[in-house]
Amino acid sequence: MAETFELADRYFERYQEIIPDYEKFLTSLAEPLPLYFRLNTLKIRDPEPVLRGLHRQGFEVEPVEAIPWFFRVEPREASLGNTEEYYLGLIYPMTLSSSLPVYALEPHPGELILDLCAAPGSKTTQIAQLTEDQAVLVANDRRLDRITALVANLRRLGVACAVTTVYRGEQFPLEVSFDKVLVDAPCSGEGRYRKGYEGELLYQKEGRTNLSGIQKGLLVRAYDLLKPGGVLVYSTCTLNPEENEAVVDYLLRKRQAELLDWEAPLPSHPGLTEWQGRPFHPDLRKARRFYSHEIGAVGFFVAKLRRTA
Amino acid sequence: MSRKNRRNRKKMDPRATWPRPVSPEERARILRFLEERFGFPPEIFEPYEFLATAKNYWLFVRTPHLENLSKLKIQTAGLLFLRKVGDYLKPTTAALQRFGRYATRNLVELDRLTLDRLRLEKKIPLKLEIEPGYVILTCEGQIWGCALYLPEKLISYLP
Ligand SMILES: C[S@@+](CC[C@H](N)C(=O)[O-])C[C@H]1O[C@@H](n2cnc3c(N)ncnc32)[C@H](O)[C@@H]1O
Repeated sequence: MAETFELADRYFERYQEIIPDYEKFLTSLAEPLPLYFRLNTLKIRDPEPVLRGLHRQGFEVEPVEAIPWFFRVEPREASLGNTEEYYLGLIYPMTLSSSLPVYALEPHPGELILDLCAAPGSKTTQIAQLTEDQAVLVANDRRLDRITALVANLRRLGVACAVTTVYRGEQFPLEVSFDKVLVDAPCSGEGRYRKGYEGELLYQKEGRTNLSGIQKGLLVRAYDLLKPGGVLVYSTCTLNPEENEAVVDYLLRKRQAELLDWEAPLPSHPGLTEWQGRPFHPDLRKARRFYSHEIGAVGFFVAKLRRTA
Repeated sequence: MSRKNRRNRKKMDPRATWPRPVSPEERARILRFLEERFGFPPEIFEPYEFLATAKNYWLFVRTPHLENLSKLKIQTAGLLFLRKVGDYLKPTTAALQRFGRYATRNLVELDRLTLDRLRLEKKIPLKLEIEPGYVILTCEGQIWGCALYLPEKLISYLP
């Protein structure tokens, strides 16, 4: 174990300058991630019966102040997937920060929204819930096995406002344009990493795929799928600037997109305007970085953009 | 594609084309069934459209974008809501879990022990003072889903 600990420390060293309170960050990696769920308000609005039920099964549950309908659960190592509340579609286990991209998206009833990398559907179902099942959602993922899990979650939560598709995001047909597009991109997942518990340090893996290239392709296609004035949200659960700011910077150079400010319900830091000597567009400070040791959940990056032409 | 994927695809609604929106008459028939059997007020389905495939009705949000969306090749559209079984309509458990709280008729409250037994044995002897047909199972305040009541027995459709 000690060996992997050192490995992790060495791995994150490259972010020493950008991670606030770096020592505390390293210490936090030794603990398992907190466990959260979202209450599915499409089915139930009073949390009491759910809290009672989970309590009976040995869980301790506390509401999260900052984000409505989210609850923190102990023991965090346990799984909520076998509970009756899960089976009945009353809860959706997801990390707290996974809700952030949807807050940036600000979905409204009636809007046509594309979730380009949607499976297994934590954000799709959250959008459905926030719009009372009245936005029109296209939930896409390139992997059919993951779409099957997404469809099961839509059914479990009782969502009726979504269609599901299986396209490679980069080739999603341009015939339909959307009011809003969410790109919750495949990423190296560094924000999820906890020593010995969760995540892998992918970026150092031999023969790794060119994630940054895939992300750029997805983001550009997502932009092209927007109506003029449409809103685009790009998110990852990684700390890596190559997969975050550099990807958004690429879009800004290729298309007429503008970065927007947005109000984040959890503590955050501005996006980087420079990394390893390379400058990014100054507006990238409007993107938000969320660090796991500050928010008690998976680290995230969220950028909100608008198509201007 | 792997074997497993092929199986998964089968399990999903295998449609090359979009389901068709139902006619006003067909909609009226569906709403009448839902109201007569379960007391669902038709207004709760006002924001939705019913889409039909050969054997099923799907509930999908009512939207002017529908035609536009039909350019996409889809896996599913909306929530699988009713199945056509012979001349009958059978609500899905997903539909009842979502909308059951608006029902006023043919709800069957089971105690925990009976529910567990029904889930295990799929069919249990039970005498109820209701018309035979589909019922909504509830237990300890939660809606569990769909079952069929036939004279002196209850058949579970819970997944
Ligand atoms: C971070 S996960 C999405 C999580 C999901 N948004 C949620 O909240 O539950 C990234 C997803 O992107 C999918 N994916 C990877 N490459 C893709 C591509 N080229 N086009 C579309 N989806 C892709 C993966 O299968 C994976 O399900």
